[in-house]
Amino acid sequence: MVISKTRRKNILIAVLLIALAGGGVLWYLFTEKFGDTRKEKADYTMSAQDLIAEFKKSDSLANKKYAERMIEVTGIVTAVEPADTTVNIKMADSTGSYVIFAFQQQHLANARRVKAGDSLSVKGSCSGGAYSEILETEYITFKRCAISK
Amino acid sequence: MKKTTLIFALLISGASVFAQKRTTTSGTISFDATTSLDALPRAENKTVVAALDPKTGGIAFEAIIKSFSFVNPMMQGHFNSVNWLDSDKFPTATFKGKITNLAAVNFSKDGTYPAEVSGDLTIHGVTKTISTKGTIVVTGKMISATAAFVVKVDDYGITGKAIEAGKVNKEPKVSVAVSFN
Repeated sequence: MVISKTRRKNILIAVLLIALAGGGVLWYLFTEKFGDTRKEKADYTMSAQDLIAEFKKSDSLANKKYAERMIEVTGIVTAVEPADTTVNIKMADSTGSYVIFAFQQQHLANARRVKAGDSLSVKGSCSGGAYSEILETEYITFKRCAISK
Repeated sequence: MKKTTLIFALLISGASVFAQKRTTTSGTISFDATTSLDALPRAENKTVVAALDPKTGGIAFEAIIKSFSFVNPMMQGHFNSVNWLDSDKFPTATFKGKITNLAAVNFSKDGTYPAEVSGDLTIHGVTKTISTKGTIVVTGKMISATAAFVVKVDDYGITGKAIEAGKVNKEPKVSVAVSFN
C-alpha cells in the first residue's frame, strides 16, 4: 500500500495532536488541586441537627446520599477544638452526636475567631458518618471547610 | 443496708472519676506514601476520634477513611476506590491497643515520656497486630501523644496498578498526633 507524502504528513500531525491532548489531560489530572470551597456550589443546605438526625436514622443511607458532597451546614457551635496545629469546629445535638468541620488552609484564620455559642454556616466536603464505639455516639466529619456566614 | 448501698454508690462514682477515660474528637493522622515517581499520595485526617485510659494504658482510635484530605482530587479518588481502601465497603480504620510500658509514664507529673504501644490495627477490613514507639507529654491536665510507624499495604490487602508500578510507597509512614485537654 502506498501512502502519499501529504497523507503521511497528515497522519503524523494527527498522531502528534492526539498525543499532545492526552498529555494535556494527564498533566491536568496530576496537577489539579481542590478549589476554594467558598467558590464551590453546595449540593445541600441544611441544619446540623437535621444532618445528625438523618445519620442517626441510617448512616448507610445517609453516607450514600451525602459522602463526598458539598454541604452547607447551619447550627450553633458547641466547641472549637485544637487539632494539632489547626482548629476544628463542632456542632453537637443534645445526646452528644456531632458534626465536625476541618478547614481549608486559607479559611483557618476565620475558624480560629469562632467561639462556642456562635451561630454559623459552614460549607465543606462531607466525609460521611459512622457510629463511634469509643464515644457511643454518631459522628459526621467534614474536610476542606470554609465559613460562609 | 442503706448505708452499704450509699458507700457502694460512692465507691463506684469515685472510681469512675479517677479512672476516667480521656477522649478527643480532633486527633490527627497523616500518611506519606510518596515516591520519587509520584509526590501526590499523601493526606491528612484531622477529625480522628481517640481515647486514652491513663489507669489501664488503653488506647483506641477511630478514623473515617473519607476524612483523609488530599491536595489532588484524582489521588483522593484512587485512595477511596474499590482497588485501594474501598471506603464505601470499609468506611473506617480503627486501632485498639495498650501502652505496654505504662509504669514508665507518670500521668500525674509534668514531663515527656517515651511510650511503647501495641495493639490491633484494622484497615480495609483486615486486622493486624502492630507495635510502635511514641512520645507522651504531660502538661498539667493536658496529655499529648505522638507516634510514627510504617504500615505495610500488602498486609492489609491494598493493591493496585499504581502501587505495583512503584508510584505509591508500599510502606507508607503514618504519623499520629492527639491531645487530650
